Amino acid sequence: MRTASLVVLVAILLPLGLGQFWAYQLGVYALYATAAVGLGLCWGQGGFLPLGQALFFGLAAYLSGLAFIALRGVPAIAMVVMPFIAIVSGVLAYAIGFVVFRRPGESGAYFSMITLALSLLAFQIATSWNSVTGGFNGLKGIPGLPGLDDISDVYYVSVAALLAVLALAGWLFNAPIGVLWRALAQNERRLQLFGYDTNQLKSVAFGVSGLMAGIGGVIYAPQQAIVTPQVVGFGLSADLVIWVAVGGRRSLLGPVVGTLLVGSLTSQLRDSLPFWEVLMAVFFIAIVLAFPQGVAGLAEPLARLLRGQRVRPPILAAKNPTDKPPTRLTLDGVGVRIGEVTILDRLSLDFDQAGIFCVIGPNGAGKTSMFNVVSGELATASGRIGLGETCVNGLAPHRVTRLGVGRKLQIPSVFPGLTIADNLAIALWSGRAARLQLLDPRLRRWTSPVLEELKGRYSFLVSDARKAAELSHGEQQILELAMALLTEPRILLLDEPCAGLSPDETSAVIDLIRWAARRLGGATIVIEHDMSLVKELAELVYVLHNGTLLAKGSVAAVQADPAVRAVYVGGEK
Amino acid sequence: MDPLIVTQAINVLYAVSTLAVLALGLAVIFGLLGVLNIAHGEFVMIGAYCAYLIQSWEWPYLVALPLALAICGVIGWAVEWIMIRPLYRRPFDTLVATWGLSLLLRKIAEGIFGLGFRSVAIPLPGTVDFLGTEYPIYRLVLIAISLALVAGLVIWYGSSRTGSRIRAMVSNPELAQAQGISVRQLAAGTFVAGTCLAGLGGVMIAPLAPVQPFMGLDYVLRAFFVLIVGGLGSVLGLFSGAAVIGGFDSVISAATTTTDGYFAVLVLAILFLWLRPRGIIAHS
Repeated sequence: MRTASLVVLVAILLPLGLGQFWAYQLGVYALYATAAVGLGLCWGQGGFLPLGQALFFGLAAYLSGLAFIALRGVPAIAMVVMPFIAIVSGVLAYAIGFVVFRRPGESGAYFSMITLALSLLAFQIATSWNSVTGGFNGLKGIPGLPGLDDISDVYYVSVAALLAVLALAGWLFNAPIGVLWRALAQNERRLQLFGYDTNQLKSVAFGVSGLMAGIGGVIYAPQQAIVTPQVVGFGLSADLVIWVAVGGRRSLLGPVVGTLLVGSLTSQLRDSLPFWEVLMAVFFIAIVLAFPQGVAGLAEPLARLLRGQRVRPPILAAKNPTDKPPTRLTLDGVGVRIGEVTILDRLSLDFDQAGIFCVIGPNGAGKTSMFNVVSGELATASGRIGLGETCVNGLAPHRVTRLGVGRKLQIPSVFPGLTIADNLAIALWSGRAARLQLLDPRLRRWTSPVLEELKGRYSFLVSDARKAAELSHGEQQILELAMALLTEPRILLLDEPCAGLSPDETSAVIDLIRWAARRLGGATIVIEHDMSLVKELAELVYVLHNGTLLAKGSVAAVQADPAVRAVYVGGEK
Repeated sequence: MDPLIVTQAINVLYAVSTLAVLALGLAVIFGLLGVLNIAHGEFVMIGAYCAYLIQSWEWPYLVALPLALAICGVIGWAVEWIMIRPLYRRPFDTLVATWGLSLLLRKIAEGIFGLGFRSVAIPLPGTVDFLGTEYPIYRLVLIAISLALVAGLVIWYGSSRTGSRIRAMVSNPELAQAQGISVRQLAAGTFVAGTCLAGLGGVMIAPLAPVQPFMGLDYVLRAFFVLIVGGLGSVLGLFSGAAVIGGFDSVISAATTTTDGYFAVLVLAILFLWLRPRGIIAHS
């Protein structure tokens, strides 16, 4: 709050100190800054970089210019149309995101390149479609906003738009959806396995960024009285990326600072210093290589001072809608092939009761693949996977999770850059928070009885301002296990939960698994190599070999089985 | 045969083979190192400006080749050392860094040559009688060079010691290192090879394209679309990608406008992302 009031105060007083020329300049850059804030949202929070962000700014500017020209006599109506134009930009961005992010394994490069291509396309359309856009010379003679004569009036309109965008961004960054965006940038797979539709999360982030650019664009047209193809093309898109990088992509105000600082410096120095832009490009590369925090990184200690810490009471989380009696997990003749290699060969398993079950087998037996196929990460070539009465073949991982499948990965997989509290909260929201609730910052204070009990058992889970990356390997294993439990799954899949742990940590995890199995009352399926742990945990052991079930029974029975002994001791493969 | 059809067929062959060469360097770096070099188009631009300089000094055109190779090689080597090597484990940051590089190279070119178009005269003017039709010699030579270049590279990669070392590095860098292969040098060499190929492509197409600082953007996007459509990892994929993108673009641009051609290619690339995310020739 204190930061916010400081920003507003500076914005109001600035033109008084700087005079008309600078008020005009800053007014224009404030509009560009709305687009920069959106770009920061995508890049700094979501971890994907649109290289053609001017598209949404320019589209809104052209549409707004056309609307103001068409409604010349009735500017009031044009003003009513403005918000809808900004929304058009947002919807277009959402649609583009929705289309491009669907690519499996999308690493970010494809998205960046396609947005770049779209911006170039928009530039070509803007220059060649003379009858509508005015071609290369631009759309001219756009009437101004009614009742604004003074330059400082125009400045205040731009700044009000920027502050509104900042308020929106600040709220979103602080809301659960902001936490999920940051989590997305760090570990997309883990987020999917917590039941979140990551494509949807990215598309929404991109849509919001498009809306923000649109807000700047709709005001730009009546403010400048002219819209040229430059505002939709590559040049502005590139400038926005530089401004955001220099200002600091991860902070809320960084993109604004970058835009105002670099933008106004450039407008001053471009002509007098011939290689100014070369210098900026070098500076940009240096920031990417060595200083990702940008200018905002320098101000971080100050920001911490202003932020102030207030402790708020926790809120009891909503009930988990999947809070139903345990379900049966069945695999019926499941086959998986990758190229010529058979991974699972008509594997049939049936987990029809509560309890702890261990899956063992030599390396390459298909244990983790079995988990992957249940989670929906690996496609089946044949067979059926059932969760209760539901067939889950072909469902996306996040949908399978929503049906009550929890998963702990083999290598501890948490969100290293997020605090322990945020890590736990992400698990807690999974399946409990309705879509719109992800906008409610109060959800960050959620807790649940299971979480309270876990905090009672493991004190490090209470120190919630620490980052997960600061935890030891063992603590990360326990954190991920705790997160998997918080979703209160009906089927819990644990992949070597004790790998790499000390004896003390191992017995702590064994305790936790036993407790969880009782607490959740469903089937807990554990992949484990260590036979002493299997003996301690398992009610029933399943032995996999070459992608199929070799034996099933008590620990003693399995150990006595000659077929199992042959596989483990050597002999015939 | 109808001379018009022959001309059109050679035109398409020309578009496809040059596009394949322009995409080759990008494919080498992206496919082998996992680095998407957005500045690829700017290396093409450097090659084109080399051709322009050589011609304005009135030296033989072929001198442009070593000049372009030298400049692109040195810049590529420095870039790999400063920007790419520290970021091999952060592929997304290499994308952003090479994007900054593309900006830098463009601004330098703008500072030296200005924004205006430069034209390069065709070094082999005149036409030749080809299957009953008059066709520009230079384009035929370009087609031959392009095919020879791609074929030569593929044969070399498949049969030379360095080629097998690169394959070892790609499939398992740690193991390759443990076998005494200097992965660092090999990766640097691969990157430099990619930038040099781009420079080479620039020299080749300079007489047939407007040479200006922004020319690279178009080439890198087209080359990228070729990789989307064709998929990574095979020559057949490279050529089929180039055939689809180049063919589609030239046909639609000829029928309507270049903007429509560009739009069609973009939509096609997005469709491929959806329907055949690993390209026409899927590689496991």
